[in-house]
Amino acid sequence: MSDDKPHASGSISPGDTSERVGMAVLRERGLDPEELREKLIDAIGAEFTTYYYYTNLRMHLAGHEDYKEITEDARLEDRAHFELVVPRVYELGGHLPNDIRDFADRASCPDAGLPVPYDDESGQLDITTLTAEDVLEVLLEAERCAIRTWTEICDMTRDVDPRTYDMASRILQEEIEHEAWFVELLSMERDGEINPAGHFVRGEPGDAPYSTNRRFNDSA
Amino acid sequence: MTSYEVELVAPGDCDVEGIDSGRSETITVDEDEYVLSAARRQGVWLPADCQQGWCTTCAAELLAGEVDQSDATRYYDVDREADMILPCTARPRSDLRLRICQMDELNDLRAANSLPPGRSR
Repeated sequence: MSDDKPHASGSISPGDTSERVGMAVLRERGLDPEELREKLIDAIGAEFTTYYYYTNLRMHLAGHEDYKEITEDARLEDRAHFELVVPRVYELGGHLPNDIRDFADRASCPDAGLPVPYDDESGQLDITTLTAEDVLEVLLEAERCAIRTWTEICDMTRDVDPRTYDMASRILQEEIEHEAWFVELLSMERDGEINPAGHFVRGEPGDAPYSTNRRFNDSA
Repeated sequence: MTSYEVELVAPGDCDVEGIDSGRSETITVDEDEYVLSAARRQGVWLPADCQQGWCTTCAAELLAGEVDQSDATRYYDVDREADMILPCTARPRSDLRLRICQMDELNDLRAANSLPPGRSR
């Protein structure tokens, strides 16, 4: 480096790897990067637990092949949301909890479990009265929680952190589509009412047309 | 329809649109309405994420009055005994006085009782 043209380094010394300009610029603009980072861990904790719970919910839609396919799309897209944001947590100086129980405990949305009794002694779910309507209601409320969470993150980052805002807004678009799918399915299944989602399911399971990061980052 | 007066008290370190830090605002909440949604409708932007009584972001301390917290998806006896509530799923059963912005305090309480999210956060 020429002595005549030192790097413009702001308050961080040239070559200092103990600090990140990517965090300092957020702080300069009034956003606490540590607070954002922790909120992101909570939010992707919910995406991860939802991916797990949807696996189980999908199994129990036996006989409703159309519902199973749509739940599969939502399941894989929620996993895509987790994958999309994980690198951002590390960029902001954080990491995933080492214990998966901690990760699930801090998820910002409720566990999307089957709404049936569980027999602790036999280790069996009592699914004798479980209906597709019951499952669709759990799916719908999980999507609604995700919409609220990502909207809050959009509010936090708008005009301050374009990178996180871009991720959150793309996830939000898919969560809103998921809600519309489950409004359509539940209202017909439960009430016999037609409330179209306004769009169709994906070309391939897990398409994640807004949020998948493969198209611009094969390594993540 | 019965309505109640709910006084929201903001601690000095609480940055919420609609209430100056260290001051309070009083809102009106119907008996079948959640405190959080009523507050936001009246211009007090209480913090929240899930709005399903799970995440603790909206936690508040109940300084006076009674609430129905039965719609919360994760709420413990120790919360109730410590007068901590989740306004996103709390319906008033009397006039209320709430100290808002108590997420850290509720999470500390949960951690002390080995309850989630507790120390995981």
